[in-house]
Order: sequence, then structure tokens, then C-alpha cells
Amino acid sequence: MSCSSNSPNSGGCGGGGCGSGSGGHEHGMDRRSFLRTSSVAVAGVAALAASLAPLRDLTDVGTAEQFFQKHYKKLTPEDMEKVLARITREVEKQYEVRPHVRDYKAMDGVEFVYALNLTRCIGCRKCVHACVAENNQSRNPEIQYIRVLKMPHGSMDPEKGDHNYTSELVPEKGSFYMPVQCQQCVNPPCVKVCPVKATWQESDGITVIDYDWCIGCRYCEAACPYFARRFNFTKPSIPKDQINPNMSYLGNRPRPQGVVEKCHFCIQRTRAGKYPACMEVCPTGARKFGNILDPDSEVSHILKTKRVFIQLKEEVGTSPRFFYYFDV
Amino acid sequence: MKAERKTPLVLSILTISFLILAATFLTDIWGKSAQLPEIPPVDPSFTKTATARVSAEELYRTKGDTSMLECYGCHEQGKELTLKFDEDHNVILPDEHDDIIMAHGTHNRNNNCFNCHDEHNLEVLQTRDGRTVKIQDGHDLCGSCHGPTYRDWLAGIHGRTSGFWNVSMGEKHRETCTACHDPHQPKFLPRKPAPGPNPLRPVEVKHSEGKAH
Ligand code: HEC
Ligand code: HEC
Ligand code: HEC
Ligand code: HEC
Repeated sequence: MSCSSNSPNSGGCGGGGCGSGSGGHEHGMDRRSFLRTSSVAVAGVAALAASLAPLRDLTDVGTAEQFFQKHYKKLTPEDMEKVLARITREVEKQYEVRPHVRDYKAMDGVEFVYALNLTRCIGCRKCVHACVAENNQSRNPEIQYIRVLKMPHGSMDPEKGDHNYTSELVPEKGSFYMPVQCQQCVNPPCVKVCPVKATWQESDGITVIDYDWCIGCRYCEAACPYFARRFNFTKPSIPKDQINPNMSYLGNRPRPQGVVEKCHFCIQRTRAGKYPACMEVCPTGARKFGNILDPDSEVSHILKTKRVFIQLKEEVGTSPRFFYYFDV
Repeated sequence: MKAERKTPLVLSILTISFLILAATFLTDIWGKSAQLPEIPPVDPSFTKTATARVSAEELYRTKGDTSMLECYGCHEQGKELTLKFDEDHNVILPDEHDDIIMAHGTHNRNNNCFNCHDEHNLEVLQTRDGRTVKIQDGHDLCGSCHGPTYRDWLAGIHGRTSGFWNVSMGEKHRETCTACHDPHQPKFLPRKPAPGPNPLRPVEVKHSEGKAH
């Protein structure tokens, strides 16, 4: 912010040459009033600058490059290469680790489905923390994609669950545990309400978010019946030594302040053929994941052989790709 | 003429108000946005993918301590072992085996060591259908009594698979039964949960449900 260049103009003289010789009383102004006016103006601008001090805390204003970036779906492969290079630079600068950032695409003939065995889940919350570590979520304030609800027997209403339980040991008698995360709906209400199309459903069923396109209006967060979306109120904070360097554009790359995020079935793992982190960490084997279009996949077997399935809040018509079941 | 006099006045007012603003910001009269309370990092054990226990299969695969699995380090080959039971039909074990708590099924229904171990060669297991299998192939043994669960396990429904769901891109590993179940007391034991979401403020005490409305 440069004060000197502003002051002649704000002195009200409008144009060059004032105060230089001509010095008419009716037009322009005399030397004294010019000095007075301009010194007040200089002080004023300096004061303005000082009063804008809080802006210094805004460290997260993106680069021009990011500002002019096109929508994800309009990026050519060359554009994407540049974008990934920029993200690599930014991560390296901020976290001092060299990330491996890729733009994993959906595979043909793949539709992901999750199945969760409520008879097995013991509520140990390992999935919550494995997810945070895998997906570079903010540690403080905490952003967690999975909420493990402790449910009273006989109810399947997530509103009746409590995710703040502080039991010494789990499972506790009289309750069962229901982890809730993004249900990757076939009819996602969150996608419909996005005013800028920053979130959409991909061909493998994963609803993704372009963090560079999101304007942070939080409509999607309000539209989600499962409370699955999270907003970055502050700049996310992740200790440098805990960054997961294996990143994807639509997945776990670090998010800026002011955007929404949520579970994306670990895009950086699942589109590379691996299981999601929450599933691999589950000690009881309650979590199952796979390609529903493959008749031999675990999830296909489960949907064929198990009898009782629950899709949360089925009545609202979201048609989740996340199935809860009990062993009977 | 009037405008000329007004300009410095307006500017002074602006200057003074900016100065006041600046002063309030610099002295933090309104306070900084509240400092977030510290959240302790979670214990790394909670993010580890290790199974509930270390199976014989894993011990051999990772070249761990297998001394307890080499029975003939202590036992004499060819010598018959006679099992001793108390009057409640609990098996009596020597100190060398005090890590074993025999509690397989209700009412001691499966506490005969030789339902599973081979009495003629302790270092192998014998299945119900008369096969002998290596001690690290426990799933064949369990499967001979737990048919339906075993079939589920083969399909990847019971227990856990890790690695790659897409076998054309990498290997899929199926965790063996004893990675989760202690064969001698197979019930899954209660465990300490990982910390819940940090409330950032004292958790509200929930009022009893009936009172609402
Ligand atoms: C550290 C030494 C040691 C090792 C290793 C060991 N045992 Fe033993 N075991 C003993 C001793 C000592 C006894 C009691 C004396 C006896 O009966 O020979 C015993 C007793 C037993 C008994 C009889 C239990 C009873 O009711 O009295 C069985 C069955 C047995 N062992 C099986 C095994 C098997 C199977 C293995 C290998 C997987 C094994 N042991 C490895 C030391 C060992
Ligand atoms: C000789 C047959 C036999 C073999 C071999 C066998 N089991 Fe069992 N298992 C039983 C019986 C009998 C029960 C009790 C069922 C009951 O009480 O209803 C049981 C119960 C169980 C239970 C339920 C425990 C509970 O208290 O709820 C588990 C888990 C289990 N077995 C796991 C295993 C595993 C793992 C293996 C392999 C290491 C195995 N079993 C091998 C016969 C066997
Ligand atoms: C239900 C089947 C079953 C029964 C019954 C059983 N075992 Fe085992 N035992 C196994 C299996 C399977 C292993 C391999 C464990 C693994 O994979 O971690 C094992 C491992 C062992 C070991 C070596 C590891 C250790 O825990 O020290 C010893 C010793 C042993 N058994 C002794 C016994 C004795 C003594 C009895 C009788 C009191 C007995 N077992 C009854 C299935 C059985
Ligand atoms: C990823 C861990 C895991 C693996 C691997 C695993 N189980 Fe289980 N199994 C469990 C859990 C958790 C339970 C719930 C029982 C409990 O709460 O004690 C269970 C329950 C059982 C039961 C009781 C009946 C039931 O379905 O509730 C049997 C029998 C059983 N398992 C056998 C096996 C056999 C046989 C294998 C290997 C072929 C195996 N398990 C592999 C975790 C596992």
C-alpha cells in the first residue's frame, strides 16, 4: 500500500500542475491549505493502512494462478499438470515435505459401495483417526469425516446417537455403534444445491469437491441429511511430520481456509486399487468396501447373502451407496 | 469555496476514525479470535492397521519370536501327553503355559487341546475331517468346525481383507482367524476406544429424554 502516490489526488486538486505558479485563489488552493490538506491525507491513508492490519492474518489468499484456474472438468491434461505442479510447490513450501500429487480418474466398470456390519462394530473409533491421518484433515480445530454414534438398542435414527461417549472400554452393554460418514448417495442433495458446481458425482459413485472452485457458501453442508460435510472455518493445522504425502486433487490434498470437505472414499487409495483407510484399520472387520459391478467382490457377496439392510434416512430418497447390515 | 473548506474537515474526521480503528486493532481491544485449546495428538496405536493379535502366520511371515510355537524345544518327541482336568472340567495347565486361558465356547465345550493340536506331533494342527495342517494355517482348522463362518471368510465377508480390492493392481491379503481370535479364548475382548471429538468446551450434560417438550 503506497501512500505517497495517493496523496496528491486526495488533496482534491485533480490533475497535475496545481500549486505551481498559477496559484489562483478561486481555482485550486493556496500553498498553506494544500500542505494542510495533503498532510492530513497522508496521515489518513497511513491510518487506513494501520486499520487494515487484521488483513495481515489472511495468509491463505490464493495465488493469481489459482484464481484464474478453470473448473476441474474444463482442465486439459496440460492444465492439470500445471495445477498439480503448483499444489506440489505450495505443499512443499508450507509443510516441507515433497508430496506425490496426482489426479486419479474414475475407472471404467467400477462403482464403489460400502457395507458396514453393525453386529461387529465395537465403537473403538480407530476408523475416525485413521481417516484423519490418511486424508490430511485439520487436527486443531478438529475436522473428522466419521462420527461413531453410540446407539440405544432398537433405534436406527442417527439423531438418537451420541458421538461424545467417553467409555473406558467398548463395546458397552445395551448399545450398538454406528459409524456415519458421507453416504455417497445416488441422489446427492448436496450436489443439487451447490451454486457453482464445485461438487459433483463421478462415474464410480464418489461425490467429490473441487476445493479450488468451492466458494464456501455451505449450502451443501446444510443440505446433507447425514451431517457428513465439514467446513474449514480456520486455516487447517496439520503437524508437518504428519502430512500424508500421497495426495490426489479431488481427495486429500491440503485444503485452504473457507472450503467444504468430506469423505471421498479415500480417492487416492481406492482409485489406485487399494482399500480405504477406515476399512484397513478396523480391528473387527466390520467395514467392507468394493466394486458392486464385480459379482465376486466382497460387497456383492454381502448384498447377495445377508438379509437385513439399512440405508440411513431412506425415506428422504437419497439412496445411499453405504449399506448397514446385521448378521442374522 | 465551501467545498474547499469541507475537504480538510472530512479528511480529518476520516483520519481520526481510522486512527481509532488502528488503535483498537493494534491494542487488541476486541481481542484476537479466541485461542484454540490444545488438542493432544492421538496415540499412534489407534491409526495402526495391526490386527487385534499377532498370529502364528504373522510370526513366521515377519520372522518374529516363534519359540512358543516350536513345541519340541521343551516337549519330548514321541512322549504321550495326558491332559489333566479339574472336577469342573477345566483343563489344568503348567506354568509354562500360563499365557493360555482356555475358554473356547460356553461350558468348556472345546477345551481339549487335542481337538486342535495333533497329539502325535504337537507342532501341527489336526482338523475335524482328519487333515493335518501347519500351525500357521489355523483357518483350515477353524473352518473344519465353523463351516458357515469359514465360507464367509473365504468370500471376504467375515474378518478383514487388506491391500488391494482390485487384484489386477496389487495383492489382496486376507487376515487369518487367529489374527483376531485367540484360538484358546476366541471371544473378542473389550478394548479402550480412541478419544472422541474434542468438545472444545465442557460437554453439556444431556437431560433425560422424557423431559424434552
Ligand atoms: C517353554 C516350554 C514349552 C513349550 C515351548 C511348549 N510346552 Fe507344552 N508343556 C510344557 C510343560 C513344562 C508342560 C507340563 C509338563 C508335561 O506334561 O510335559 C507342558 C504341557 C503341555 C500339554 C499338556 C497340558 C496338560 O493338561 O497337562 C500340552 C497339550 C502341551 N504342553 C502342548 C504344547 C504345544 C502344542 C506346544 C507348541 C505349540 C507346546 N506345548 C510348547 C512346556 C512347553
Ligand atoms: C473342534 C471344533 C472347533 C474348532 C476346531 C474351533 N472351534 Fe470355535 N467353537 C467351537 C465350539 C463348540 C464353540 C462353542 C459354540 C457355542 O457355545 O455355541 C466355538 C465357539 C467359537 C467362537 C464364539 C465364541 C464366543 O464365546 O462367542 C469363536 C469366535 C470361535 N469359536 C472361533 C474359533 C477359531 C478362530 C477357531 C480356529 C483357531 C476355532 N474356533 C476352532 C468349536 C470349534
Ligand atoms: C480351538 C483349537 C485349539 C485348542 C482347543 C487348543 N489350541 Fe493351542 N493353538 C491353536 C492354534 C490355531 C494355535 C496357533 C495360534 C496362532 O496362530 O497364533 C495354537 C497355539 C498354541 C501354542 C503356542 C502359542 C501360545 O499361545 O503359546 C501353545 C503352547 C498351545 N497352543 C497349547 C495348547 C494347549 C496346552 C491346549 C489345551 C489346553 C490348546 N493349545 C488348545 C489351537 C488350539
Ligand atoms: C478381522 C478380525 C477377524 C477375523 C480375521 C476373523 N474373525 Fe471371527 N469374529 C471377529 C469378531 C469381531 C467377531 C465378533 C465376536 C465377538 O464379539 O466376540 C467374530 C465372531 C466369530 C465367531 C462367532 C460367531 C459369529 O459370527 O458371531 C466365529 C465362530 C468366528 N468369528 C470364527 C472365525 C473364523 C473361523 C475365522 C477365520 C476363518 C475368523 N473368525 C476370522 C473378528 C474376526
